[in-house]
This record gives sequence, C-alpha cells and structure tokens, in this order.
Amino acid sequence: MLKVAIVGCGKIADDHAAQIQRIEGCEIVGVCDREPLMARQLYERFPVKQHFSDLRELLCDAKPDVVHITTPPESHSDIARLCLDWGSHVYVEKPFTLCEDDARTLIALATEKGLKITAGHDDQFRHAARRMRALVQSGFLGSGPVHMESYYCYELGQTAYARAILADREHWVWRLPGKLLQNIISHGIARIAEFLSGDSLEVVAYGFTSPALKRMGGSEIIDELRVIICEQERTTAYFTFSSQMRPALHQFRIYGDRNGLILDQDQETLIKLRGKRYVSYAEKFIPPVSFARQYLGNLATNARSFLARDFHMKSGMKYLIESFYRSILEGAPDPIPHSQILLTTRIMDAIFAQLDAQQQSVESRVQASVY
Amino acid sequence: MGQTERDAFIIGSDELILVTGASGFIGSRLVSCLLNLGFLNLRCFVRPSSEVTRVEVLTGCRRDGARVELVEGNLLSREDCNAATKDVAIIYHLAAGRGEKSYPDAFLNSVVTTRNLLEASIRDQCLRQFVNVSSFAVYTNTKKPRWRVLDESCPVEKHPELRGDAYSFAKVKQDEIVAEYARKFGIPCVTVRPGHVYGPGNEPITGRVGIGTFGVFLHLAGSNAIPFTYVDNCAEAIALVGLTKGTDGEVFNVVDDDLPSSRNFLRLYKQQVRRFRSIYVPHSLSYVLCYLWEQYAKWSKGQLPPTFNRLRWHANWRKTRYSNEKLKMRVGWKPKVPMAEGFKRYFEACRNGVRDA
Repeated sequence: MLKVAIVGCGKIADDHAAQIQRIEGCEIVGVCDREPLMARQLYERFPVKQHFSDLRELLCDAKPDVVHITTPPESHSDIARLCLDWGSHVYVEKPFTLCEDDARTLIALATEKGLKITAGHDDQFRHAARRMRALVQSGFLGSGPVHMESYYCYELGQTAYARAILADREHWVWRLPGKLLQNIISHGIARIAEFLSGDSLEVVAYGFTSPALKRMGGSEIIDELRVIICEQERTTAYFTFSSQMRPALHQFRIYGDRNGLILDQDQETLIKLRGKRYVSYAEKFIPPVSFARQYLGNLATNARSFLARDFHMKSGMKYLIESFYRSILEGAPDPIPHSQILLTTRIMDAIFAQLDAQQQSVESRVQASVY
Repeated sequence: MGQTERDAFIIGSDELILVTGASGFIGSRLVSCLLNLGFLNLRCFVRPSSEVTRVEVLTGCRRDGARVELVEGNLLSREDCNAATKDVAIIYHLAAGRGEKSYPDAFLNSVVTTRNLLEASIRDQCLRQFVNVSSFAVYTNTKKPRWRVLDESCPVEKHPELRGDAYSFAKVKQDEIVAEYARKFGIPCVTVRPGHVYGPGNEPITGRVGIGTFGVFLHLAGSNAIPFTYVDNCAEAIALVGLTKGTDGEVFNVVDDDLPSSRNFLRLYKQQVRRFRSIYVPHSLSYVLCYLWEQYAKWSKGQLPPTFNRLRWHANWRKTRYSNEKLKMRVGWKPKVPMAEGFKRYFEACRNGVRDA
C-alpha cells in the first residue's frame, strides 16, 4: 500500500484527496496545514488517517511514500526540498516553482536521492489530450509540429474574487513574480513545452491590463497576455491568456507539415484537420461533413467514458497521479519528463522578465512625462 | 428607546459594539438598527474589498453624537482581529463566506475567521456578548422532536459533509467552534439562526423554493411554507438578541409571521417581477430524484458531485412549519415590516435588477 500525504489543505487539496481515493493500492496517511483547523476539515471529509499542522511531524509520524504539495506556490520549493530530504517522492502542484533555478535544484535533488518528482500539469492528461498525444506520436502531423496555438483564458467576471485579490495586498498572489499570471498560465505553457526541445528558444511577450480590470482598480495586474515562442526558426507557438475574450477558451491547436489537430479542453473534443485540400467545390462540402462526423465521434467517446464512470472533471489529475505512482512502484517512465517541467518554467521566467521590463519602461515614461 | 427597555439591555448606550460584515446585506441594516436603538459607539469591520456603495451607506449612518468607526481588515489576520475587538462590549459576528462553492473556502472564511475573532476577544476580557450569526442551513430537519415544526430544539446536522453544500458545512462547524470556545474560555455567546433573509440587495429566488440549474425552473417546495424574514426585521432580531439580558448560551431562530407558501410566493414573483416557465415537481418525486442522484454520485465516485441528496431534500424541501415564539417571548421582538410590505419592496428591487441587467 502506497502511503500518501497532502500538504496544504486549501481548495485544490480537495481535488487531490478526491482523486487519490479513486486509485487502488494507496491510502492518505496524513494531511498537513499550518492552520490546524484547515487540516482538520480535510481530515473530517475524506478517509485520512491523521492530520498535522507541522510538516516535520507529518514526515516523521506518518512516514509518507509520496507527498502532494498543494500550498501556495511561493512555498513549493522549500517544502519539496524538505520532503525529498526525508525520502518522500513529491508531486508539486502547478506552478512547479517560482523560477527555473529552483526547479533545476529540486529535480537535481530528487535525481541524486533516487526519488521521483512531478509537476501538477494535469490538464495534459485529460481524455482528449491523451488522444492528441497518441496521434502526434503516431506521426499524424507529419515530420513534427510547425506551429502551435495555446489559448488559456480565465474569467475574471467573478468580480468578488478579483476584488478580494485586489484589496488584499497580503494575498499570496501578490508575492509571485508573475502575480496572477504565474498561478494560471502554466497549464497553457506546458502544452506548448511538451512539443519543444528547448534549444535556442526565443520568447516575445506583451502584456497589459484590460480596461475592465483597470476600472476595478487593478492596474498593477496584467490580465491580457500574448506570447510568441520560436525554436530554432523551426517551430513556433502563440500563447494567449485573456480574462476578457469570449468564449474563454482552453484550446490547443497544433499544425504539422501534413495535418493539424484542435484540442478543446472544455468540450473534451479532438478534431483532426486534414492537410490536403479536396478539388474544387468538394472543399466546400466534404470538410463540413467530416467535421460533423468527428464531433459526433467525440460525443460518442465522451458518452462512453461517462457511462463507464471515467469522465470526472478532474480525470486528468487522476491519470497523472496514477502514472506518477506507477513510475514509483514499477519504475515506469516519468509521466512528465523533467526537461518539460524545466522548459515550462524557463518560458514563464522569460515572459515575466519581459513583462517586468515593459512595466518599468511604462513607469519611467510616465515619470518622464510628469517632469 | 425608553428607559425601561434600556434597563433590559446588557450594555449602556456609550459602550463599544463591533459589527463584522458590517457592509453586508444584513450588517448594514444592523448598524442602522443599533443607531436607531440609541447606541452611540459602533465599530464596523469591513473587508477592503467591500462594495463602496455599502460602505458609504455606513458612513452615512452617523447620527448626532454617534460615532461610527469604519475599520478595514481581514478576519484571517490575527492582528486585524485584535485591533477590531479592542475594548468591545458586544460583538455581532455576521461576516461569513457566502456563496462559496468550495468547502475549504467556505470553511476558511467562516470557521477560521470566527476562531480568530473569538481568540482576539479573550485578550481584552471586557466582552459581554458574542453574537454568532448562524443559519437555518445547520438544521437537519430529520428526527425532530416536534414532527413538522422546526424550532430551536431541533437537532443540527451530524454529518454536514454529506449535505453537498459547502455553506451549511461551514456554518455547522462555525457553531461548533463558538460552542467550544464558550465552554473552554467562558466567552458569553448567543447564536441567532435566521431563515431566508430577503429584501432589496438579495434578489435571487431562494433554493428553498426550487432550482433553475437545469434550464427550466423546477419548483420543489409546492405548498411548503418558506422561512422568510425581511432583512430589517432580521437585523432588529439580531440586535435585540445581543442586547437583551439572559440570552447567554441560547439559540434563537428568526422567521417572520404569516409565512407564505412557496406556491404563493412564486405566483406573486411571476406576477410582479418577471414571467418564466416553472415545473412543479411533487415531493415524492423530488425525494426519489435526490435519492437517485445521491446513489449515482456514490457509485460513480463523484463523477457527479453529490449536490442533490436526501439530507438536502430534508433540509430544504420537506414539508415544515417554523416557529418564532422563543424570539418573541424572550427578547420581545416583533416583525415591524409585514410580509406584504416586505414583498412589495423586494419585488420592486427585483424589477429594478431585471431592468438593469
């Protein structure tokens, strides 16, 4: 029986506990939160053996094989290091760390100790995302990806949440280098990183505050981001984060030199784009029929998964956790290669560095115009 | 306020009263009510994220000789709690996580905040009453001592985690922690449990009437009485419970008189606010549907969240009568705004809301 612990008993810890209890051959031996009441509420609602408010006590008393770290991002690095030092494998929620250096240190420590470590990029393991990966690996795109587009939107329409962050300067979001973006964009960036090697990478980022957020007094938070990523003048990618565009897409498009694919995370659909054109008017009539057929196929697949009780909202998380546990118990490959985790953090570092520079240049321009 | 009434209160008009959640739907009315009762020294604790208009209403409440101090802060901060409770004689604790769908968020904003406030209140030793504002959502509505009547003697949900409702879970836990601190540290506490508080500022139709989740409004309560209390009446009840002598350790439910049936309410709402399609689901059928949903959620290991279940059915849609006898007898409360007048104001606000939408 694999002994699992969860550190950090906030909202996302509920998802972890719910998915872990669906996996056979493991048990939650302890949950821990600096706030004892939070640890207790999780303990009371899930089959958990013990609750703690001190991480060292958890590691010492419960002796977990695996620790899931679901605390605010700024503490990921220190907690993961301590868990690795105590000999536990570590699953770190996204964003993995605050910068690439921290990520590199953690991965090196895990490797040195012969322990497993992974990042919570669970969206990449949803049903449609797995079908997409299989198609890409089978050579559906051709010789490899030429261009990608990743949309990862976030509805700030729930103004109470936005107002709460804006008003509370003590909220941990403010302490992140990339602020709100850092906590959200890693899923969308990780999708791109999966299909890049990381050599000679160029990143161009442009961010701004939407008028809607400005009206709420949030001019220090960037909620609109456009990024161009280019690798060796061979593969390119666009990344879009928006709080305002509708529909608020969570979509990934990947094009090779032969065919393309569109993955829609919200609808859990995967659509194949045929590279070749039909002759003359046939191009106007056959593709719509083909798309209709594909959407029906997706509908049938989703319905089958639902009827088989395998269509949970967090199905990707369950699959990732299971794969991670398999890598621990059976020596299976890491579900997310370390190089991908590092590349995701590297791209995010580059984005935030450029946004910082932009912000400073805007501030200096404002100052110059004042004088 | 006459001298006789003042004599029945546990504090004098100059003593300091803290109201948490003061810019909220009930909180702002409570502040106004306390000022009307002649209390001159109020501290209003509001979140920095509070809506500006409601905060302005509070500052506008200042009367001649009265001091309304506005304190911005977060009850998750112990420093803010210490500052808020300093020299306070009565705490009206209304701040809570409302509308939270996640259990940890609801718990954090209701239970951890309450614990912080209770601990801060111990420091000063001048607290005379801690008024814990709870909710009808804590009652199980099963195995009641008096079959169809829900009153203060009714049991509280034993397993709120199975209700599928983060708010009721947090409120049950909040009541537990208040009771624990009262027992351990001798903090004088009284609990107030309002029914559904309605009025301008809280426009949505309560889930006790039915649900609109599935595109068409499912009317589930039928001929059940809905435990309405108009916001001003509720605020006055909370104020009186906190002030009246001899309420320490007690629980008071707040509902108005002349409660309408769900069917009557829905008919009036459709006539006076907007027309929409609703389907009446008989009680036996809604019970079976809740049962099936509950079983499916269990069988599928949460593929559908256990939002609908028998515990929720009992709490919200089971045929029930409500009593406000204790409140009337012990603190002399009477609903000043009759149901007809309350509905008139509420429907007007709803109509304006619909027009503004």
